[in-house]
Amino acid sequence: MSSRAQVLWLVLAFILFIAIGLILRLVRHRNLRSKYGLLWVAVGIALEPLALFPGFVDWAARSVGVLYQPTVIMLAAIGLLLLLAMHYSWELSRLEERSRTLAEEIALLRAEMDVLRDGPPPGPTPPSGANNSDDTQPG
Amino acid sequence: MSDTLVIIPAYNEADALPATLASLSVAYPDLDVIVVDDGSADLTSEAARAGGATVITLPYNLGIGGALRTGFLYAVRHGYRRAVQFDGDGQHTASEIAVLLDSLDAGADLAIGSRFTSAGAGYEVSGARSGAMRLLRWLVRLLTGEKFTDTTSGFRGFSRPMLEFFATHYPVEYMESVEALILAHGAGYTVREVPVRMSERGGGMASNRGLRLAYHFCRVLVVMVISKGAIRRPDSSGGSNQ
Repeated sequence: MSSRAQVLWLVLAFILFIAIGLILRLVRHRNLRSKYGLLWVAVGIALEPLALFPGFVDWAARSVGVLYQPTVIMLAAIGLLLLLAMHYSWELSRLEERSRTLAEEIALLRAEMDVLRDGPPPGPTPPSGANNSDDTQPG
Repeated sequence: MSDTLVIIPAYNEADALPATLASLSVAYPDLDVIVVDDGSADLTSEAARAGGATVITLPYNLGIGGALRTGFLYAVRHGYRRAVQFDGDGQHTASEIAVLLDSLDAGADLAIGSRFTSAGAGYEVSGARSGAMRLLRWLVRLLTGEKFTDTTSGFRGFSRPMLEFFATHYPVEYMESVEALILAHGAGYTVREVPVRMSERGGGMASNRGLRLAYHFCRVLVVMVISKGAIRRPDSSGGSNQ
């Protein structure tokens, strides 16, 4: 390996190192939930030796019979990202369901509050309560 | 308070609601009516309140399924024995509610008002829409083993057990009524279709553009097939295949 390539690998290793530090910082300040933060930190730590010892990839590729080494990394990366994307879709569905339920609850609570404040709605049933309660709805 | 609740999901229906509510109070002065304002930008809530309905205002648009689910939850929590879904735009005929209620009394959990059987004759839908509906009908028949002619009807009656089930399980995505039919049938509820008269006014599905409709159509087809029998009614014997 040429010395320029070696420098490049070292730079990559350094960037990775900084990235791990940033993620830890985000988790520390609660800007990133630890469950996601730790996942990315784990990915970073797993990648770090690859950047520091690029020869490992060559060795790993050869030992499984792959001639073009980058495919191994690509395959692993794509697999991992697909899994993550799936996980996020699942998480998003759950969040959407929860925010829906919250919206429903809020609407029902607001309706109940209207009744508490203004009395039951006039409704078509009892002609007694003639006060239409549509004047005081500040929201 | 009556034991039957009329649920009107409404999205920007301020113009049509007064007439709809008036027709309801003429035909059924004793029924409780709630309007679920699905995050409307116009004065839907105010119009509904002025018309004498209880109003539930959703903080943002949840779609018709979300609005209905809110209505079902309200019905369950306030102890209603049954409920009817009614359109705010005036395409349903108030006096036909009796047909749905009769069907519920006769043992149906979900009574679907159909405009395509004999009593509803004269109601026409156009080209691609009718083709899509035919395909839906065919698939519904395949999945349920029963014949339903108007699978996307928004004029329906719900028994108390059905309300309890739908308060948590009602599908919330577009074209939810077909999904709901399959879900209810697969869960072991009694689903009946009854002929009703409807006026010509289009609503809901008609306003949608082709591509979006096509997407949702495919989505519904897949969802129907894979979710058949996924959820059982809670009180049914037999193991749940959750």
